[in-house]
Amino acid sequence: MKIVNTPGNEQVEEVDKVYDVSRRRFFQLAGGIAGAGVLLAACRRTPPSNFYVGSGDVGLINYLNVIEQVQAGFYIQAVLTPYYGLNVSESTCLTDTRDQAIAIRDYWNTIGGTSAIGTIVTDWTQVTFADRSSMLSNAMFLADLAVSAYNGTAQLFQDTDYILTAAKIATVQARRSAYMRDLLSYNSFAATVSTSGLDSIASPTSVMASLAPYIQTKFDVSKLPSF
Amino acid sequence: MNFKNILKEIEQTDPEVYEKLSTRRGALKSFGSKAALAALPLALGSLFNKAYGKTTATSGVVTALNVILEMEYFEYNFYHTGNNTGGLIPSADAAGFTTIENHQKEHILLLNSVITALGGTPFTPHYYSATAYNPLFVPAAYDFTAGATYTTFDDYATFLVLAQVFEDTAVHAYKGQIGNLLGNTSALTQAFQMQSAEGRHAAHVRLIRRNLNAADNPAPWITNRVPPAPTNTAQPDSQFQPFYVNEDNVVQLDNIAITSLTDSYSSTGTVPVVSATAAFDEGYTSAQITTLLQPFML
Repeated sequence: MKIVNTPGNEQVEEVDKVYDVSRRRFFQLAGGIAGAGVLLAACRRTPPSNFYVGSGDVGLINYLNVIEQVQAGFYIQAVLTPYYGLNVSESTCLTDTRDQAIAIRDYWNTIGGTSAIGTIVTDWTQVTFADRSSMLSNAMFLADLAVSAYNGTAQLFQDTDYILTAAKIATVQARRSAYMRDLLSYNSFAATVSTSGLDSIASPTSVMASLAPYIQTKFDVSKLPSF
Repeated sequence: MNFKNILKEIEQTDPEVYEKLSTRRGALKSFGSKAALAALPLALGSLFNKAYGKTTATSGVVTALNVILEMEYFEYNFYHTGNNTGGLIPSADAAGFTTIENHQKEHILLLNSVITALGGTPFTPHYYSATAYNPLFVPAAYDFTAGATYTTFDDYATFLVLAQVFEDTAVHAYKGQIGNLLGNTSALTQAFQMQSAEGRHAAHVRLIRRNLNAADNPAPWITNRVPPAPTNTAQPDSQFQPFYVNEDNVVQLDNIAITSLTDSYSSTGTVPVVSATAAFDEGYTSAQITTLLQPFML
C-alpha cells in the first residue's frame, strides 16, 4: 500500500495489484475531482467467474438486477467525474438518474432475496466520462438497451405482479433514454421507435451479450428465459 | 389432502411449476408449518392464481386495447391541431412534435388492426366519419381549451403544459391496462413497446419546459406528484394535481419501501424521495383516465 498525490491534492490510498489496466486514463479523468470513492470503484479485483443468473422468474429478476447494477455504476462514476461543460440542469438530472438507478438496482436485489445475483464487477474502459459525447452516447446505449430489455420481459415473467412492476419501470427507462438522446442530439428522443409506433425489444440473451463490454464478471445464462 | 402429492401431480404435468412458483418461496415454506394448514385452501388458490392467472378473455383484451386507443385518438387530435396551428410551435421544436404526432397515428392504426384481428370493434371518437379526408382527425370530438379555460393553441407555454399532462396521462393509461392484457402475450408486448414510446414523448416535452425555465422546473421524469405550474396565475396549481395522483407512491411490489433502500451516495444514506418516486411510473384505471380527460371532450 502506498500513498499517491492526485492532481486534486487529495491523498488517497492506492491498492496493490490494481486490476484496471486503464489506470492512467482514470487518473487523467479524475484530475481535480479525485475522491476515494472513485479510486475504489476503479480498483476492484478480478471477479469470480460465471455468476449463475438463474432460471424462471428468479433468473429474470437477476437479469434486470444486472442491467441496473451496470446503470447505477455508470451514473455513480458519471457524477463523480462529470464531463466538461456540464451545466447545473444536467448535473441535477444526472444525480437524480444515479439515485433512480440505485433505487431500482436495490429494489430488484431485495426482490431477489437469497437468490439475488451477487455484486458484479463493471468495466468502463470504453467510456471517457470526462467527454460529454462519450458519456452521453454510452448512457443512451445503456438506457436504450434497458428499454428493449424491459419490453422483452413482458412475455417471459410468469408471476403477473412482476410484469406490472416491469411496466412501471420500463417507461422510466424510456424517459431516461429520451433525455440522454435529446442532450446528445436534440429531437432524437424517440429514434428507437419503429414506423409502426413500436419501441425496441430485445431478448435477455442478446441484452446480456450487449452488456458484456461493460462487465468484467462472466455469467452463466444457460437457464435464463429468453426468446 | 396431501400437499406434496398435489405438487408432484402438477410437476408431472408442468415440469416448470417450481420456476413459476419459486418467487413465492415464502408462501411455499409456510405450508410446512401446522399453523398454516388451516389457511391452506385459500392460500393455494392465491398461489396458483399467481402462476397460472394469465388468462384474460379476448373481450377483456379488446376492451383494454380500446381504452388505449381512445387515449391515442385524443393525443393524435391534440398534436395534429397544434402542428397545424401557424406560429405556435417554434421551428426548432417542430420536428419533435411531428415525430410525436406520427407515433400517435401509428398507434391508432396498429391498435385498429390488432382489435379487428381479435374480432373486436375498434373505438372511434364521437362524430367520427370513415369517409372524412382524414378520418383520424375529429375536431368536433374535442375541446382542448376545456371551455376556454386554457389558451392551448394560442400560447406555446400553455400548449406545452397540456402536452406534458397528456403524455404523462398516456403513460398512466397504458400501465392501467397492462393487467388486462396478460392473456394475450402479443398484445401485452406491443402495449409495452407503445407505452415506452409515450414515455419518450413525455420526457421530451418535459425537457422543453425545463429548458424554457418553467416555474415547476420539470425533470424528464415525474418527481413526487408535482404537476406542471400553470402559465396563467388565475389557474391554480391544483388544476393539474389530479393528473399526478399516487405518483408520490414510494411502496412498490412486495411492500418494499423505496425510500428505505440504501443509497450511500445520497446525503441521507437512503434513496431520496424525488428519485424513489421518479423511478416508477404508476398506472391509472380507465375510469380515472375518463374522468381526467372529460373536461376536454365534447
